[in-house]
Amino acid sequence: MKRTLKKAAMTAALAVLVGAAPVQAQKEPIKFGLLQDFTAVYTFVTSGYNQGQRDYLTLVNEMGGIDGHPIEVTVVDTGNQPQRGIEAYNRVRRDGAILVDFLSTPVANAMVNRVLEDEVVMLTVMHGRGDASDGETFPFVFPLMAHYWSQAALLVEYIDLYEGGIEGKKIAHVHIDSPFGREPIPVLQELAKQKGFTLRTFPYASPGNEQSATWTEVRRFRPDHVFIWGAGGGQAVSVREAIRNGISPDKILSVVWLAESDMHNVGADIAKGVKRFEATVTGTDTPILQEIMEKVVKAGKSAGDAKEVGNTYYNIGVASMAITVEGARLALKEFGAPLTGDKLRRGIEMIKDFDAQGLIPPVSYSSKDHQGGGFGRVSQWNGKSWEPVSDWHNAYQDLVWEKIRQEAAEFKKGR
Amino acid sequence: MFYRLSGIHHTRYESASQLWPIPADRWQVYALLALALAAPLLVSDLYLTSYLLPWLIMTSAALSLTLLMGIAGQLHFGFAAVMAIGAYTSIHLVRFGLPFELALLGAGLMAALIGGVFGAAALRVKGLYLVMATLAMQYLVDWIIVNVPAISGGAQATLQTPRTTFLFLPLHKDEVRYYVALLWVVLVTLLILNIKRTSFGRALVAVRDKDFAAAVIGINIVRYKLMAFFTSSFLGGVTGAVLAYCFYQAVTPEQFSFNVSIQIVAMVLVGGLGSVLGAYLGAAFVLLVPIVLTNAVAYLAGLGLLSASTNLLAHIPLMVYGGLIIGFLLFEPLGLAKIYDNLRKYFLVWPFRHARS
Repeated sequence: MKRTLKKAAMTAALAVLVGAAPVQAQKEPIKFGLLQDFTAVYTFVTSGYNQGQRDYLTLVNEMGGIDGHPIEVTVVDTGNQPQRGIEAYNRVRRDGAILVDFLSTPVANAMVNRVLEDEVVMLTVMHGRGDASDGETFPFVFPLMAHYWSQAALLVEYIDLYEGGIEGKKIAHVHIDSPFGREPIPVLQELAKQKGFTLRTFPYASPGNEQSATWTEVRRFRPDHVFIWGAGGGQAVSVREAIRNGISPDKILSVVWLAESDMHNVGADIAKGVKRFEATVTGTDTPILQEIMEKVVKAGKSAGDAKEVGNTYYNIGVASMAITVEGARLALKEFGAPLTGDKLRRGIEMIKDFDAQGLIPPVSYSSKDHQGGGFGRVSQWNGKSWEPVSDWHNAYQDLVWEKIRQEAAEFKKGR
Repeated sequence: MFYRLSGIHHTRYESASQLWPIPADRWQVYALLALALAAPLLVSDLYLTSYLLPWLIMTSAALSLTLLMGIAGQLHFGFAAVMAIGAYTSIHLVRFGLPFELALLGAGLMAALIGGVFGAAALRVKGLYLVMATLAMQYLVDWIIVNVPAISGGAQATLQTPRTTFLFLPLHKDEVRYYVALLWVVLVTLLILNIKRTSFGRALVAVRDKDFAAAVIGINIVRYKLMAFFTSSFLGGVTGAVLAYCFYQAVTPEQFSFNVSIQIVAMVLVGGLGSVLGAYLGAAFVLLVPIVLTNAVAYLAGLGLLSASTNLLAHIPLMVYGGLIIGFLLFEPLGLAKIYDNLRKYFLVWPFRHARS
């Protein structure tokens, strides 16, 4: 009953918006720059993520924009090279963009000083600096969702709550030998001390196409659970090597970067039981995804392949824009047009208990917290899709925030 | 035509031995320098900070490497690591409290020391084997930076460049950054141009052409090879520091990865091995052409002339870029500088043809 009401209200709202569209289209556009890596390192996620972002924005524009303001998107390939990111950034900033998203840690990290100076909002969803969650040090940088420290903490808590306690267990952290792979280690070490489990870390060389030597070591360690911390092609290799070395799939827990395609690369049946962190609902069962299917994909306005819709990375893209648009809406209501980077930042910081109609856990931001609480859940591969096996929750945020503050203080000192 | 030689008589050694004895060359250089000096007034800050600035800095890098690869004939596939040493050293020195000017020197010295140590490998190996030795340097330096948080800057592996001044000018202003980079590239250019004419440079050329023949005519190969590595690494280290402070403003290990080493080698090769002008043209080609192509494709797509998926659109510039490299190398295997050289030689003796080489 509630849902029908909601739907009816939505349709009514839509009718009003469509009716008023010609007048409202006169309002000045809001400009976003999606300056991402389509050709180098992040290709495994960029196409799905970017398509999700653009499809959601298309949906918003179809429904009359944000309070009548259409959203204009510039998409540029940076090839994961900071100098190309800088060029693209300067270009879209000159054109009046108030939000940029690089989806590349090296580029985003190189841009931190610039966006702070220019007052342009930079999204660092699942990339960039973990300490950017500290809104007081990084007022214009928004991780928006649980960052790697929160993800690692959540996986530990999941084992503690759902897998019969973590005390005395042996955890292997198998990671790509890069700053990203090492990032969760300090948090895991601290948790190992507090919770009384044994942690050992096993690096493999980037990019991770060849990991057999590492996994022989892991087997000797006889871990109770294995964390795999990589991205792209290396993740499927990790899962395959783990299974080959006699580790049961349901003992494998992954960072957020493990998608449907990786499971099919391993073999959908063989990988049955693998678990991973997720920050958004996967699939197309949520109202927003349904609307995208109906008004964007079926209308032939999707920015990519219809098969991608509802996939892990696609939904992360949709969620990133859903949160941003909500922030922009609040900002317009509170401060009025024209929207600036500073107004948009304040708008996002005003978001309270927003769940994008069930797509994400309820998130709240503030001028202090740009991570939104670090919520997520664990889901398991059932051979066809990802099935949630825990509730939305966040874990050990006091410890995570200690780390965030410590790193942010380092950043301040170095400036 | 243009490069008129008639009526030019050098009556003093100084005028005959100046860098550009032909007036046309000299005037071109002066005009370009004047344009470069006036650039902050002439171009918008987008082009100043995103095109000219990185171009000048990467030209310094290519010039530093051309001293080693072009003049001394020692292949180096780990030059980004040399620059990384300079960049990280300068940041840590400034954080330690040293003034930026001294930190630049320190960056150069540190890079020269470590680069020289790896250069010692060049005393025993040549050609492809030297490539392997320098590759080892690239990976070792990368590994150490990533694995020592004290160097890389903690879990984020990102170091912001501290606010500082250069000769009492604040280094966080775009114009100051540009002029620092310009000053450095002019210094390096003059240095390389002059090294080519000194006994040091001639000894390096002799070593390049045949090292034991050079030994026979009395050149101490060990000393000159080491000096080549030392000098080139010093320049590379300072360039790395300039790159960090004037352009990136934050250093991460990825900015000095193996790919960047290859890019710098490509700049030297596409521009023309051993040519100063080639370093400028090569850096422009490798650095700016992909950006220009990406923007051109995006512009065409915006006009509706190109309709393809985002993924394909992102890859079209790469295909065109690859085609351009092959095209240029087929057209003129000696590099972009040679194309200019051919034109210049043609006009030098125009309307005759006999000086074309």
